[in-house]
Amino acid sequence: MNLNINAQSVTVDADPAMPLLWLLRDTLNLTGTKFGCGVAACGACTVHVDGRAARACVLPLSVVAGAKIRTIEALGTADKPHALQLAWIAEQVPQCGYCQSGMLMAAAALLEAKPHPSDADIDAAMTNICRCGTYQRVRAAIHRAAGAAA
Amino acid sequence: MKRRTWVLSALGVTGALVVGWGLMPARSRLGTAATMLPTEGDVGLNGWIKISLDGSIILAMHRSEMGQGVHTALAMLVAEELDVPLHRVRLEQAGADAIYGNVAMFVGSLPFHPLDSEGGHKPLSVRTGEWLVGKIARELGINATGGSSSVADAWLPLRQAAATARASLLSAAALRWQVPAEALNVQAGVVSHASGKSGHYGEFAQAAAGLAPANVRLKERQTWTLIGQAASRTDIPAKTDGTALFGMDVRLPDLLYACVVQSPQLGGSVAFLDAKEALAMPGALRLVRLDAEAGGSAGFAVVGKTTWHASQAAKAVQVRWAQRPEGSLDTQRIQAQLQARLASDKGFTFYDKGDVAQAEAAAKRVIQAQYTAPYLAHATLEPMNCTAQVKDGKVLVWVPTQVPGMARAAAARVAGVKDEQVTLHVTLLGGGFGRRLEVDFVAQAVRIAMQCEGKPVQLSWSREEDMTHDFYRPMHVAQLSAAVNAQGAVDSLRIKSAGDAITPRWMERGLPALAGPIDLPDKTASEGLFDLPYGFAHQHMSHVATRMGVPVGFWRSVGHSHNAFFSESFVDELARETGQDPLAFRASLLRAAPRYLAVLNLAAEKAGWGSALPAGHAQGVALHESFGAIVAEVAEVSIEAGVPRVHRVVCAIDCGTVVNPDTVAQQVEGAVIFGLTAALYGRVDIQDGVVQQKCFTSYPMLRLAQAPVVQTWIVASTRDPAGVGEPAVPPLAPAVANALFALTGKRLRSLPLVV
Repeated sequence: MNLNINAQSVTVDADPAMPLLWLLRDTLNLTGTKFGCGVAACGACTVHVDGRAARACVLPLSVVAGAKIRTIEALGTADKPHALQLAWIAEQVPQCGYCQSGMLMAAAALLEAKPHPSDADIDAAMTNICRCGTYQRVRAAIHRAAGAAA
Repeated sequence: MKRRTWVLSALGVTGALVVGWGLMPARSRLGTAATMLPTEGDVGLNGWIKISLDGSIILAMHRSEMGQGVHTALAMLVAEELDVPLHRVRLEQAGADAIYGNVAMFVGSLPFHPLDSEGGHKPLSVRTGEWLVGKIARELGINATGGSSSVADAWLPLRQAAATARASLLSAAALRWQVPAEALNVQAGVVSHASGKSGHYGEFAQAAAGLAPANVRLKERQTWTLIGQAASRTDIPAKTDGTALFGMDVRLPDLLYACVVQSPQLGGSVAFLDAKEALAMPGALRLVRLDAEAGGSAGFAVVGKTTWHASQAAKAVQVRWAQRPEGSLDTQRIQAQLQARLASDKGFTFYDKGDVAQAEAAAKRVIQAQYTAPYLAHATLEPMNCTAQVKDGKVLVWVPTQVPGMARAAAARVAGVKDEQVTLHVTLLGGGFGRRLEVDFVAQAVRIAMQCEGKPVQLSWSREEDMTHDFYRPMHVAQLSAAVNAQGAVDSLRIKSAGDAITPRWMERGLPALAGPIDLPDKTASEGLFDLPYGFAHQHMSHVATRMGVPVGFWRSVGHSHNAFFSESFVDELARETGQDPLAFRASLLRAAPRYLAVLNLAAEKAGWGSALPAGHAQGVALHESFGAIVAEVAEVSIEAGVPRVHRVVCAIDCGTVVNPDTVAQQVEGAVIFGLTAALYGRVDIQDGVVQQKCFTSYPMLRLAQAPVVQTWIVASTRDPAGVGEPAVPPLAPAVANALFALTGKRLRSLPLVV
C-alpha cells in the first residue's frame, strides 16, 4: 500500500483495516502522534489528512491511501518552526505534554481554515481533551500565533 | 525470668536502640561522587552534581516530570546556587541511592493540625514527630514524586549540594591562582579574580573533586537571580514538536507490543481461556496469563507485531471469568454500608478541642448535614504502560512512574532477581495524578517480557482497561453538625466521616515489607476535615476507616479532594443559616489564622466579591489549606441549558517561597480544570463488580469551550516552599457548589454537582 506521509511516499505492507495511528506509531516509529482513547473522543492522535484535522485512531489505512498525511513531526522544522510552536513556547502551554501534539495539529488546521479565529471559532474547533487543563493557554497561544501571522 | 522482668528488659534494649539510633547524626543527603553514574569527561562532586569539562552542570534528577514543572524548578535551585544560567544545567536520571528518597512526603503524612505550627513555633510533639518520621524516611530512601512535595523536599539538600560543589570549585580556583577564595567572583559559571584571571567551572572540576569544601554557605535571599523569577520550562520545546519521550514512545530494536485484558469484574479471575483462534490471527505472537499483580486484577495479555495486532487478537480470545470470591462489588451498596458505618462506628478521633457534646446540649439549635463523594478514576491521558526486557538474568524497564524504586522492586520480584539486576529508565509521564504511584502494570510487563525470549516488549493498556482497572479515589461520606448558641453564634463543629483508608492499601501493594499487621490511622482519610483553620471553640473530628474491597489509590489532592467539598460547603451552610455573608462569616472565624485570612481577602478583592454581576450569575467562595499551601477560590457561575457553567475562577495562593511563579500559575489553572471536571462530571459507578465508566464518553472531561478563565494571585512569602501541584484542586468543588447555592438556593451535598 502506498501512503503519502509528511511529503514522502511510503510503501507499507499492512492490513488496510489497520488504523493510521498504529502504522505511524508502531510501524514507522513516528511516535509524536499519541494514543489516548481509540474512539476519536480525545484528539491525542490528531493529524492532518489533506490539510484537515483528523483523528488517526479511527482512520483505516484504506481510507487515507492516496491522501496527504501530515503529522506533528512535519508541522515545522528546527530552523523554521510553525508559528503555533513558537506561540506554544511563548505562552508556556504544555504541562505533561501528552495531548499537545494533537492540540497543535488541531490548531494548525484551524488556522489554515481561519487565519484569525474568534473565541467561538476556537471553542468549536478545539475539542481535544487536555487532562492537565491547559485550555486557557491553548486559546492564548492560538490568538498569539494568529496575530503573528497577520 | 519473670514475665514482667523480661518485658522490662526487652523494652530497655529496644529503648536503648531507639535512643542510640536517635543520637546518630541525620543521614546526610549530600552523597558522594560515587553515588552518581560515572560518565566520560565529567567530574562528580557529590551525589547530585557533576561538572562537565565544558563547564556545564549535570544534575541527578530524582523526581518524575508529569507536567508539574519539577525538572525545571529543581534545576533552578542548582543553577541559583552555582550561579549558572538555567540552560547550563543538564539532567541525568538519579540512581537508586537513599539520598534520593522523599522525606518531606512522609513527614507530611503526620496528622498534626497546621495551626499548631502556624506562628513559626512548632510544639514539641510536632518537632518530635517530624524528627522521628524524617529520620525513618531518610533511612528508607523511598523515591516518590507525590504529595506536592518535590520542591519542599529538595529545598535544602539540592541547594546545599550545589553550594558545596561551588565551594569546592572556588577552592580549586583559589589554590591554582594562589588567591583567597573570598576574593573570587562567579558569573554565569565563570570564575574570575580582580587580577584578570578567569576560567569556567569545567577548568577546575578535576582539582575540585579532591577538595573538602570549606565555608559552604547558601546564597542570601536578596541575592537570588533565578528563584522567584518566571522561567521558561526546559521540557516544553520537546512537547511542541513530538520529540518528547513518554512511556509509550520507547522504541527499541525487535520491540514487540502487548495489550492486556483484565477481569471486567474487579478482583475476578480467568475461569476458562482458549486462544487458539486468536493466536492464528496475523501479527499475533503469544498469550500470557496474568495473575493479579500488585493489587491489580487478573487476566491475560496478547503479544503482537504492533499494538493493533495484539489488541485485535485479544478480542478473539475466548474467555470466561470467575467472580471475585468475596462477591461482586456495587457502589450503591457500598454507599449504604458507609452510611450505616457512619451511624454505628465510633471511628478514630483525629482532632478534639473543647467539649462538642456539651456545646450541642446547650445549643439553641444544631445544624446538621450529610455529604457524599463518589469513586473517581485518574484518567491520565497516557494510559498505563511499561516496556520491559528480560535477558540473561537482567531486567531492563522503561516506565512512566512516580515511584522508580518501587517499580524496580516489583520488576525484580516478578523476574526473581535482585533489585541490582534491574535497570530502570523513567520516561516523561503523560499525566500521573497519583495513578503512577502504583506498580501493577510494571509487574505485568515484566511477567510478559519473561515469555518473550529476551526480546523487549511494550505493554500498553487500552483506555477501557485504564478506566476500569484503576486504583480509585475512594467514596467517602461525612456527617457534619454545628451548634448555634443562645447568642446566635456557631461555637462547635463536629465532623465524622467514613471511607476507605488509602495509605495502608498502598503500602501492602508497593511496600509489602513495611506494611504492618494492622492499619494505622491514615491522615489522608481525614485531611481537610480535622485540620480546619476556623476558630470554633469546640471541635471533634473522627473518621471510620473502612475496607470496601474496591482498589483505592491516591488521586490528586487525596482526602482533601472530597473533604474540602464537605467542610467548605458546610461552613457556607452555617453562614447562610445564621444570616451572614459567607466571606464575612469565614473572616470572623479566622482571627487566629491571619495568613488564611489574607489569602481569603486577596481572592475576594481580586474577584470583586459582593459587586454587581451579570444577570443570572452568582459567586461562591472556598478556602482550604493542603500540602502546606493556603488557597482561596472565588467561582462565578451561571446555569446554561440546565447545567452549571463556570465563567471565572479567581484564585489566591500562599505556597511559601515560590521558585517558578509561572509554574504556580500553570498548576493553579490545571488544578481548577481538574477539580471542575470532577465537580461537574466525575463519578465511577460499579455494578455487579464492573466499572460502568469505560471511556471519555461515559467519564467526560471538561473541554476548552467549557473552561473558565482562571486568574492566579500569589501571596509574597519568605517561608519555606510548600506544595503547588495539588492545593488548588480542593477548594474548587465547594466554591462552585456555594456559588450554585447563591444562584438557586439549593444546597448540593453530593458530587458530581447536578442542579
